[in-house]
Amino acid sequence: MKYQVNFFVNEEPVELYVDANKTLLNVLREELDLTGAKEGCGAGECGACTVIMNGKPVNACLVLAPELDGAHITTVEGLADREGNLSPLQEAFVKHAALQCGFCTPGFLMTATALLRENPHPTREEIARGISGNLCRCTGYKKIIEAIEDVAEHTEGGVRK
Amino acid sequence: MKQFNYLAPKTLPEALQMLADYKESAVLFNGGTDVVVRLRDRLIAPDYVVDIKHIPGLDDISFDEQNGLTIGACATMNAIGENEAVCKHYPFLAKAALSVGSRQVRNRATCIGNICNASPLADTGTPLLACDAVILAEGPDGRREIPIRDFFIFVRKTSLKPGEIVTAIRVPYIAGAEGVFTKVARRREVDLSTVCATVLRCGDEFRFAFGSVAPTPLRLVKTEELVRGKKPDAALIEQAVELARSEVAPISDVRASKEYRMDIVGLIVRRGLETLAK
Repeated sequence: MKYQVNFFVNEEPVELYVDANKTLLNVLREELDLTGAKEGCGAGECGACTVIMNGKPVNACLVLAPELDGAHITTVEGLADREGNLSPLQEAFVKHAALQCGFCTPGFLMTATALLRENPHPTREEIARGISGNLCRCTGYKKIIEAIEDVAEHTEGGVRK
Repeated sequence: MKQFNYLAPKTLPEALQMLADYKESAVLFNGGTDVVVRLRDRLIAPDYVVDIKHIPGLDDISFDEQNGLTIGACATMNAIGENEAVCKHYPFLAKAALSVGSRQVRNRATCIGNICNASPLADTGTPLLACDAVILAEGPDGRREIPIRDFFIFVRKTSLKPGEIVTAIRVPYIAGAEGVFTKVARRREVDLSTVCATVLRCGDEFRFAFGSVAPTPLRLVKTEELVRGKKPDAALIEQAVELARSEVAPISDVRASKEYRMDIVGLIVRRGLETLAK
């Protein structure tokens, strides 16, 4: 049986018929071709699939597709503005070279976006704790933290002043 | 994941009816951080998944001194850990809630789910045990209150009857109580507990609740009896540490050896008594 779900992805309304045994991550990647969110572990350990659901960062691999009805989802594809200008966080990740292979980057960007919305000027320690649900096997985290620190210093909650 | 039917009851009676109709073929679905993984790994393969998050009021958290703290079944770990009353009156519970998983997981995972899973190392188990919390359940035979000490039966086994749904947990308010939650794990964030514990002082009484040292989270009743009403001097602390070690039955596993866990139990009892005795 298929379940009708009406929800918003990056502020665009979406209507889909989904299987119950699919996850939000499956829907984003396979139905909507939004492949920014990645499957790392599929069990809520690595954070590579982090998206913002109803204002809060969640692991897309742990949300069932039928739960999407009425939800607002923001993915990494929704961070740039309509003209394609990257968000301050995305720019800072480029500037600080806060990525190597890039697999974990969309997850980090979504977690950091949510973190700065809740806490616009976090300390280094708060940033480190804030991204603890995202694993990166390349960078050693230092440059990621520096990128987020840069944005925390120069913006108000990740939004250009 | 095997194919299943997703049900989203809007009321508690509706949800209870679904459990009554579909019995063992139904699984309750709350935050999903455990159930989705179990579905994916095919450890469970239900025909019906009953999502209780659409039932109004189940995510409430309320507090007054008379009734204590009431945590609704669908209140998330982050909602609990950031709740003003929880932080003020039960800081050790807030700390336990925020020690679970990652921020992303805590935005979905619930305290009631944690308790109903009945893992030996349930992080929110020990603060609730230390406070003598009461589980509120509704089922085919009506409403029932279960003291948390009677709730955990064995690894992943609770005293819930078939068809029952936990609607909330009530945590008594103990004026002047002071508690310490400790989680020992291999890494600081996003890990399961090697040992977790809550030590609570209420007047001249100490309570010790431990997780991951027995098949269920448990209270060290003999150790509590030993120190009740006494000033914990060095000799008494030594006795309490020894007695505490005899009350737990940890195993060796991937996270730590039995001996290590024993030592940690003694250490937590010692530090708890030293910190909280005034």
